[in-house]
This record gives sequence, structure tokens and C-alpha cells, in this order.
Amino acid sequence: MRIIKLIWSYLRIGVANEMQYRVNFFIQLLQSFISLATGLIGLWLVFSHTTALSGWSQPELLAVMGVYLLMGGIIKTAIQPNMQRLMDEIQNGTLDFALTKPVDGQLLISIREFRFWQLTDGVVGLVVLAIAIIQIQERIGIGQALAFVAALALGGIMIYCFWLILTTSAFWLIRIWELVNLFEGLYAAGRWPVTIYPNWLRLGLTFLVPVAFAVTVPAEALTDRLTPLTLLGAAGLAILLMGVARFVWRLGVRSYSGASA
Amino acid sequence: MPTPIVTVTDLAKHYKVPTREAGLKAATRSLFKRKYNTVKAVDGISFTIEPGEIVGFLGPNGAGKTTTLKMLSGLLYPTGGTPNVLGFQPSRRQPNYLRQVTLVMGNRSQMAWDLPALDSFDLQRAIYGLPRADFERTRDEFIELLEVKELVKKPVRNLSLGERMKMEIIGALLHRPKVLFLDEPTIGLDVTMQRRIRQFVSEYNQRYGATVLLTSHYMADVEALCKRVIVIHNGKLLFDGDLAALVDRFSAFKTIGVTLANGFGSFSQYGEVLNQDTGHVSLRIPREKTPEITARILAEQQVDDLTVEDPPIEDVIEKVFSQKSAEGDAG
Repeated sequence: MRIIKLIWSYLRIGVANEMQYRVNFFIQLLQSFISLATGLIGLWLVFSHTTALSGWSQPELLAVMGVYLLMGGIIKTAIQPNMQRLMDEIQNGTLDFALTKPVDGQLLISIREFRFWQLTDGVVGLVVLAIAIIQIQERIGIGQALAFVAALALGGIMIYCFWLILTTSAFWLIRIWELVNLFEGLYAAGRWPVTIYPNWLRLGLTFLVPVAFAVTVPAEALTDRLTPLTLLGAAGLAILLMGVARFVWRLGVRSYSGASA
Repeated sequence: MPTPIVTVTDLAKHYKVPTREAGLKAATRSLFKRKYNTVKAVDGISFTIEPGEIVGFLGPNGAGKTTTLKMLSGLLYPTGGTPNVLGFQPSRRQPNYLRQVTLVMGNRSQMAWDLPALDSFDLQRAIYGLPRADFERTRDEFIELLEVKELVKKPVRNLSLGERMKMEIIGALLHRPKVLFLDEPTIGLDVTMQRRIRQFVSEYNQRYGATVLLTSHYMADVEALCKRVIVIHNGKLLFDGDLAALVDRFSAFKTIGVTLANGFGSFSQYGEVLNQDTGHVSLRIPREKTPEITARILAEQQVDDLTVEDPPIEDVIEKVFSQKSAEGDAG
């Protein structure tokens, strides 16, 4: 209960922050609409020239793209901003304040930032998904819908853990901006089903960077490809990654020295 | 005798720091092969602090003051020695411990930059899970004490450095901590603002019986707030006791000021003449000769008024450190 209140407080601060500057607020609003429109137009252009790809029909590919955009929106709204702030604070030493609060440190650094403008990516993703589902022309059952939501949640958790482990390495390495770019490059590979890639790359995108679980697996749930075993595997990997992330975080905080005053 | 709030025994913190020569060549080499130096930031210090005390931490830059405060607030893991604060081991960072302490850093801010401070205060309420009524009472009390009723509604970025510091302090004390770690809380502030912050700390200490550990480079802060000081230098404890005793121990001289009835006189036979104007002389004399020389001046000169003073505390401290550095270089 307290955690929900705390998240709510940070959300309110985030929104208040955006509204503090009126002109900026309206420019952001405009910009979000523009990026929404250009995103949809771009997709339409690509997909009016694509047919099937290694067993995925055109509307199914569109569904993958939808999930890719949706997950990207979630990452940019809630995960990446928090991790970037953590990185900055490790460098500047202001993490001191977060670590002296009577709230679990990992929880606190994961909920402080919320860029709700980035939700537009998520909205584009939802629109694309809706179009894809209509085109697939098969009824999506409750079971499939639930599997989809579960797979999406597990994928989100895995991406969060992956980001946290990456960011926590800043405790030792201090400057790790390049790693962030690396993630963005790899995540871009997720816009296609990972099954189209050669084996080595597919393995990397599944277990090194959990893009496959974040995008392809939820899309499989929607297109009737998901086996219970895969979902179970996703759950297992998510739990494992949470454990590893927790462990690395603790180790990192232990060796945190703070920028000297 | 009450149980101490803070007990520190043989506390140590050693850092490994990469070092290299200047220049591109050395930078390239250090990409592959790093040399490390061990820096003993804190090297075996011990002390205890009683409930309600305000203790000043003194030492030049890099003496280990901040490192000690950070170990006590749970941010750093000690290399050696286990500090005990309020019965807790700080580095375990238990919520019940962190709820009772606070850390204020004069050169860092935890306020949301673009928002009025009131919003940041609300966030603190959520973090500490404070009941609304308590929170509002404390907040309004502090706002009144620091006279910032209007300022808390302005975005923090539009405030002056001193005004911002007031906000930082309010934000850091809303949960009414029992132990305050203040790291240079008045750094960069003008004299009036320094005094306000000082008064507030003293007021808080009296109202809530809080224990305060304070580092400052401004001796005025220390003189006004701290009866007791702990002096550290190069990670080692040099002195722990009353501020007055520090002066006694480390200053070998006193200053005698004489106002002359007839305006003139020769004083060089008594000691080093620091200053001589018409009607006034000041002399520097060895501490142990003070009674004798005072008596002689009173007997031999036509004196209107005579004062005996300790040298300014800054001079004493500076002397302590320069002496110790010289010893360190020699041995």
C-alpha cells in the first residue's frame, strides 16, 4: 500500500514537472501528435510492400511491430529514464540521498522518473496491434489474451532487470553511456520475429538481451504460436533475472563510494 | 550516565584509487594496466557522542570528515571497525535506522529543481510515510522558524543559494530525525544566512533533543553551535574535547591589548608588538608568562584598560594542522 502511494507521489511530481512550463507543455503535446502521425505513416509505407517472412504473414508481422512499439514505449516511459537518472547520480554522488531513505533502495531508484510523453510510442503500438488483430481475422480468446498480457509483463520484467544490471555496473565503471547505445541497437532487432535471424543471433537476442521474450513471445501469444513451455520458460528466466539483478544491485551499493564532496 | 547515541571504535575506510602520470601515453597505458594507490581516508578513529550533543568535526579538506559522516549515515561500508548509532549498524541501512537520521550536504540538493519546495516536501512525506497531520504541523513550524512562507511556493530554481539551503534543511528534517549529519550546511552562504541556519539547527537541537554532527569550514558555525569538537587530520583523530581546551592546548600565545592613559610608551621589552597606534598597543606573549607580564605592565605603565585574549580560533586550527603536516613530512 505504501509503495503504491509512493509511486503515485512520484507520478504526480513527474506530471507537475511537465506542467510547470506552459509553453513547453503545449509544444510537447504537439510533438507527441506529430510523432504519432509520422510513426503510423512510416509503418503503413513499409507494410504496403511487405508480404510474408519465414512463416509469419503480413498482419502477424504487424502484430510483432505493434508489440515492439508498445514495449519500446514502456521502456522509454518508465524504465530507461529511471536508469539514466541512476547513472547520473552514481556519477555525481547525489545517489546519497536515495540511499539514506527508509525505503528499499532498488525500489526507490526504479520508480522516481516517469516520462509520460513517451507514452505516445506505446499508443502507436496499441493502434498498430489493433489493426493487426483486425487483419488477422481470428477471434482472440480469453486464454490468448491472458497469455499475451502475462508474456508482456514477463518481458517487461526481464528488460527492467537487464537494464538494472547494466546500469548497476556504473558503480564500478562510472561511465557507461556506450552500453546504453548498445542496448538501443540490439533492441531495434526486436521489430522482427527473432525466428528470422540466424541461430547465434537468435540465442543472443533471447538470453543475452531478452528482446525475444519482450517482443516475439508476446506476439506469439496473439498469433497462436505460444506453447505453455515457452511461457513457463519466460517465467523461469524472469525470476532468475530478478535474482541476479537484486544480487548485482546489492553488490553495487556495497562498493558505492560516492563522488567525494 | 546515558548510553551514547554514537559509538565509533577504530573506524577505518581505505580506498583504492587508480593513478597515472599526465599525458596521452600514460592514459593509453592505463587503459590496459592500471596502477592503484591505497588512500587511507579514515584510519582508525574512535569516539562516542552523547544524546543531545552538538559536535563539530574539524579538519582540512580531505581529512576524512565527509567519509566519516557517510559511514555513520550508512552510505559507505567501513574497511574496519563497526560504528554503532542508536543501537544500529548503519551500513545495514535498516529502514528503522534511516527513519531516525538525516544527511544534509551543503553542496548537493535533493529538491526537485523546477517545482516549488512544497512539492518536494510532499514527496518526503510519502517516502517517510508520515501521517498528514504530523507532517503539516512540522512543516509549518519549520517554515515559520525560517520565515520562508512565500518562498516555499516559488520554483526552487528561482531561489538564491541561501534560500535553497533553507529548503534543503526543512526537507531533510520533516521526519524529525534524532540524529543529524550536517556536511558543510552553510558552505557558500553569506554571514546573515549562515547565522539563520545556525540558529535553526540550535533551535531544533533544543526542541527535539536531537544529536548533531556537523562539519564546517566556518569557525563561526562551530563556535556558535558546538561545545565539543573532534579534530581529524589525514584520517587520524588529533583532538576530542571542549573547544576551549583545544585553544588551551594548541595555542602557545595570548594577545594582550593595552589602552594607554598618556598615549605613548615602549612595549618591546614585554613581548612581540603586533600593533601600536596612539593610545593602543597589542602584544603577543607566551601563554605561561601572561600573569607575570600583565602584572609588570600594570605596574610599569600608565594603563587605562587592559585585555587578555586567546588568538582567533581560525589561527589556532591552522596552527594545529600546519604543525601536524610538518611532523608528517618529517617522519
